[in-house]
Amino acid sequence: MRKRKELSGIEEDSLLYHEEFRDKETEEPAVLPAPEKEEFKILGKSTTRIDGQKIVTGQALYTHDIKLRGMLCGKILRSPFACAEVVSVDLSEAQNLPGVHAVLQLRTGRVNYAGEQVAAVAAVDEKTADKALRLIKVIYNPLPFAVTEEKAKQEGAPRVHQVANVQKFNDYSRGDIEKGFKEADVVLERNYKTAVEVHQPAETHASIAKWDGERLTVWDSTQAIFNVRDGLARVLKIPASRIKVIKTYMGGGFGSKLGLNDYTVVAALLAKKAKRPVKIILSRKDNSLCVGNRPSSHQTIKGGVKKDGTLTALHLKNYTCGGISRGDQCSEPIIDVYRCPNLKVEEYSVFTHTGASRPTRAPGHVQGTFALEGFMEELAAEINLDPLELRKKNYSTKNEGDTGIPYSSKGLDKCYQSGAEKIDWQRRNKRPGEGKGRLRRGLGMASQIWWGVGREETLADIKLHQDGSVQVVCGTQDIGGGTRTYMATVTAETLGLKPKEVTVKIGETVYPWCGSSGGSTTTPSVAPAARDAALKAAEYLKQQAAKKLNLEASEVVIQDKKLVNKNNPSQSVAIKELLGERLWEKVFHGEYTGRPSEFAYNTFGAHFAEVQVDTETGQIKVLKVVAAHDSGRIINKLTAESQVIGGVTQGVSTALFEERIMDDSTGNPVNPNMRDYKIATSLDIPEIIPLFADMIDPRINNLGSKGLGEPPRIPSSAAVANAVYNAIGVHIREIPMTPDKVLEALKRKEVAR
Amino acid sequence: MKNFSLAEPQTIEQVKAFLSERREKSFLLAGGTDILGEIKDEIIDPEIMVDLKSIPNLSYIRKEKDGVRIGALTSLAELAENPLIENDFPGLHEAAKSVATPQLRNMGTVGGNLCQKPRCWYYRDPQVKCRKKGGSRCFALGGRNKYHAIFGGGPCYIVHPSDLAPALISLDAKISIAAPKGEKTIPLADFYVLPRVNVRQENVLGSDEFVREITVPPVKRGEKSTYYKLKERGAWDFALLSAAVKGVVSGGIFSDIRIVLGGVAPVPWRLEKAENMIKGKAATEELLRQAAQETLKEARALKDNGYKKDLLEVVLSRATLMLV
Repeated sequence: MRKRKELSGIEEDSLLYHEEFRDKETEEPAVLPAPEKEEFKILGKSTTRIDGQKIVTGQALYTHDIKLRGMLCGKILRSPFACAEVVSVDLSEAQNLPGVHAVLQLRTGRVNYAGEQVAAVAAVDEKTADKALRLIKVIYNPLPFAVTEEKAKQEGAPRVHQVANVQKFNDYSRGDIEKGFKEADVVLERNYKTAVEVHQPAETHASIAKWDGERLTVWDSTQAIFNVRDGLARVLKIPASRIKVIKTYMGGGFGSKLGLNDYTVVAALLAKKAKRPVKIILSRKDNSLCVGNRPSSHQTIKGGVKKDGTLTALHLKNYTCGGISRGDQCSEPIIDVYRCPNLKVEEYSVFTHTGASRPTRAPGHVQGTFALEGFMEELAAEINLDPLELRKKNYSTKNEGDTGIPYSSKGLDKCYQSGAEKIDWQRRNKRPGEGKGRLRRGLGMASQIWWGVGREETLADIKLHQDGSVQVVCGTQDIGGGTRTYMATVTAETLGLKPKEVTVKIGETVYPWCGSSGGSTTTPSVAPAARDAALKAAEYLKQQAAKKLNLEASEVVIQDKKLVNKNNPSQSVAIKELLGERLWEKVFHGEYTGRPSEFAYNTFGAHFAEVQVDTETGQIKVLKVVAAHDSGRIINKLTAESQVIGGVTQGVSTALFEERIMDDSTGNPVNPNMRDYKIATSLDIPEIIPLFADMIDPRINNLGSKGLGEPPRIPSSAAVANAVYNAIGVHIREIPMTPDKVLEALKRKEVAR
Repeated sequence: MKNFSLAEPQTIEQVKAFLSERREKSFLLAGGTDILGEIKDEIIDPEIMVDLKSIPNLSYIRKEKDGVRIGALTSLAELAENPLIENDFPGLHEAAKSVATPQLRNMGTVGGNLCQKPRCWYYRDPQVKCRKKGGSRCFALGGRNKYHAIFGGGPCYIVHPSDLAPALISLDAKISIAAPKGEKTIPLADFYVLPRVNVRQENVLGSDEFVREITVPPVKRGEKSTYYKLKERGAWDFALLSAAVKGVVSGGIFSDIRIVLGGVAPVPWRLEKAENMIKGKAATEELLRQAAQETLKEARALKDNGYKKDLLEVVLSRATLMLV
């Protein structure tokens, strides 16, 4: 249902428009209204992690750390070939090795990427398992392969699947693209490239499987315990009700741990066969081969603009390479973020004989934003307009480039304002590259759009125990963002406690349902569900107190572990006393039930980067990144800032260093390690300044909060690249911007002169 | 990783005995920052690891009349923090400081840094049998060669990864090698060999020999040195290209100069032609660029490493001008 008509009378160009719009809409809230932040004592402030001490002192147990009695070490033999026929697998010698408890053949027929599972063993220790792997005799018939986009696109290239390697997967258009180009004063066409990126979580992937009769328990380093449970039920053909998945603490996932993994199934099968628990830990090399990556992109944008900065047409063509699986849809930012009536998108996957891609912190948006925002910067220079003004000029208040439904709230303008102010935007080179000398400084910016809504049907329970203690329970998982802490914070805020006084239980599939921790959905799912349960608990306590104090429930407020007569604060009863009178605990069920569908819910942000480029060596030093975000109400400022700092760090790292490099002759990556696959070191991280618009979305949920997991990862690479452009006057148009590419681009500039 | 025996010799004589025992399968262990990776990645499979750390008194930095003596087991951190080195040989000090990370410098040793194996990603891939590992083909030649050699390549195109080696060679350091028939001392410059001489090994160290000591001759009057390293990231990175320059300069004129590059060739690469062009003249940026151009006439860039030629020009002039 679209509201476009109702809104047509409103001044479209005004940056204040959405404010006006928001005020009107809040008169009829569809969900419980999000309270203004002034009411809160804890929410919105900085709360240290309730589990921080446990983590930094090494007491927090990660999947890698877990040891079970009788546990075996599982190891997987992987194909060294990018494409081959598995002719035979002889497991007998491995099986006969003392200490080996189970062996499995995992593959017959064709293997389609280096790193694909072929066989597995479970043995008493790692050394024996390694030895057993060496005793497995596999005969391969190697076949021709294509591991790079260039090679896979060639005519007659070896096919990855039965269909051709290049497959269109997205076709979108609106308006009349040709008419749009005719209306333009300037038409520009540019190519942008992003490399394949590897997730590189600190903790590599790991699973432990243990059978008790027909019941299976799995400890997994996962972002989605319920996905793992349901996946195992499907693959192993056993009822989901007999499977329990546990995730304790984890060292990062970034999207690579969102579902059931093949090695988890192997652990379960080996454990079944060996009748003992089996643990499988993947290696750092496996991380580059077989547990996902961010697809590369090769994007061409053609765009038309009027001299005053009005966009008239945008055309994106994208070739994206996600190994044996589909590439990333990179078009969401260009479709959505700016007002542009005429738009065309064509996206193609290029299949290669490399491991399947997986979502990587803001899949598609990182690549799409790099290209779109680079293009905006180049377009602005072409018409001699401040690049920030160009973005403001095409500000939208409805999705799909102002042609869709209205955003429930959009604080991008606030991000523009606070970010520009903080970085002192007027310091930028008015013409890119106008500075002199070998060291050039520049400023660049980029806009961000992402989703970040909650998942309906997310559940959370609050338990009030007879002794007055409080527990909040949800089947979510903390993947590093501080989920435990904000569950405690939301509960504590509502029930008049301190966060540390709330016990948080998460990470097991026996707890109330919650979806995967991906898509920046966790906070806007879990926090509202916990809040819902806590509000019910608070209401119950108020009613009980009212009875006891001879008051109406509306006259009772919760303060500092007590229920107090708000008209006479000396009259009160302690929560503990009230609960102590009960015969058993009291449980409250909370749920996030959704939001009105006639609005679009998105997160927004703008990053501003300052860089210094050595024009002789091509070295880039990122000096500062100001990261301004609208993710609705910020629940915990401290962990929100951490989230932004982490996202910017990854963005800077990808802008400067990260690339999985495939070799055409071996079919393997040449850098499946952390020395040659370079990620930023502490010396490479700039000063990072997180800013929050802290707007409260009026209808997304009962807290007005949106997600923040992915947003800070999205625009930072683009902002850095644009700052480099501003510094040296030539856009690199390709990440990572290593010295060789910077020097090449500078030569391109010389030639152009 | 396969089982091996760990030998803990107490004397230099015992080291020699262990090394002679199973020549091709005995390896020296010092800091282990390189060799343990080689073992874990199954590049080598030693039968005996001879741990030099068990021998007393191999870690020292001493000033004597013929120069500064550095024990092979001296850690890179000790070298980097030593005031004597910092004062007399700023180039060596810079080189030591530029290696890897604080953790690796704490473990890594001077001898190990000089004898480390190359970081060529094909050599380090256990699935690849390249020329260096006894195969018939250099995979870098037609493959991914962004970090490979522009000088001295063929039949293998590695670059020597050591930061200390160029710095020490620029300072005319000597290397003392303990061998079964006694000790020999040779110029460090002669320690390294090109792949066309020995494709399997980057130096002349025999399988029953080990590096015991480095001697750096005393600093002369007016002598200055520097080490300038370009890398992609701030830490934990080998040189894209580096230059160690030592010279005696007054009034902008070099009466003596020694330039040795890292990251460009299978061995530390001395620029004698450039040195001769610079000697006796005012070291201007223009002259240095000319010297670089002359040097680059001998460069053979591969598909992905042509940018190193641009870097050479910059590094040569920046490093040299630092001494003026």
